[in-house]
Amino acid sequence: MRYSILLALLLSVSSLFGADKAANTNSIEQTNAELATVRAAATQAREEAALATIEAAKAKESSRKAIDELTQVKAQKEEELASMAAEEQLLKQNRSMHISVIGQGVAPMNTASPAQAYALAKRAAIADAYRAIAEKVKGVRVDGQDTVKNMMMQKSTIRTYVQAMVKNANIVETTFKEGLCEVEMEIVISHSDFAQ
Amino acid sequence: MRSRNGNRNLSFRLCSIIIFSSLTLTASEHLISYKYIVKDATLYNETLLISDAMTKCDGKPQKELILINNNSENLKQLIFANSEEFIEYVHKLGLHIEHKETTTNLQNHSTTTLTLKTTCFKVDFNDNFARIAPLK
Repeated sequence: MRYSILLALLLSVSSLFGADKAANTNSIEQTNAELATVRAAATQAREEAALATIEAAKAKESSRKAIDELTQVKAQKEEELASMAAEEQLLKQNRSMHISVIGQGVAPMNTASPAQAYALAKRAAIADAYRAIAEKVKGVRVDGQDTVKNMMMQKSTIRTYVQAMVKNANIVETTFKEGLCEVEMEIVISHSDFAQ
Repeated sequence: MRSRNGNRNLSFRLCSIIIFSSLTLTASEHLISYKYIVKDATLYNETLLISDAMTKCDGKPQKELILINNNSENLKQLIFANSEEFIEYVHKLGLHIEHKETTTNLQNHSTTTLTLKTTCFKVDFNDNFARIAPLK
């Protein structure tokens, strides 16, 4: 009886040991699998980090390019401003400025002869050239008015006005073709002209 | 009592004054104004007004124009005979410009007026030519 009990005990103990071993092998496999997943996750994270760094580098490059473009635009603007300032200085230093314009005029319908048509068209072209010089030198006053009714444009009006005194303008070239006369006119202005 | 030499000197002075004054009297002063209007790129109206000055003008003669004259002392005739040359000269003197342009529903109308404001001109008539100069 005693031996049988001892045998039973031994068997149970041995069975327990066997169960522990199986449990141990199961846990090791589990940990190995977890480790593998963690490693995979880590490698994925590394890859993502590498991608992120590449994207960041790209973003940096693009921002640098944008900054370069901005600096170029700024430099161009500064150059333009400098050139404008230089032009203003030219007038201040009593140096002359050359302005050239083209005026157009049309002969009236009821002319006695082609010569009269030419003379009248030339007169009109000269007036147009004078107007162009005045616009360039003194500027234009512009006034606009739009009338909208029931969300529809009813009337659109633009009025421009020029007033100036021009002297010493020279005619460079006159052409007359198919009833249209074109006069090329030039004027040399200096700061002293405005001082008067 | 004066000597004979002194009297001769006096008469010479008087003669020179008379000759000089007769020469200067040929110079006359005239008022001239010029205006022309261009409407829609076509000459609309042109006016050149010339009249004798009723009062003496102030100022010194400026840029002068020399026109060929045939013993005439009529400025109007002289200018109308050489109108192109005179108008070119007037342009050089300087013209006031007034330009008005209206665009209504994309239809454009413009009026340009060029004006020489009434200016006093000194005119010297000679046998073969006449000198015209504005006084400023």
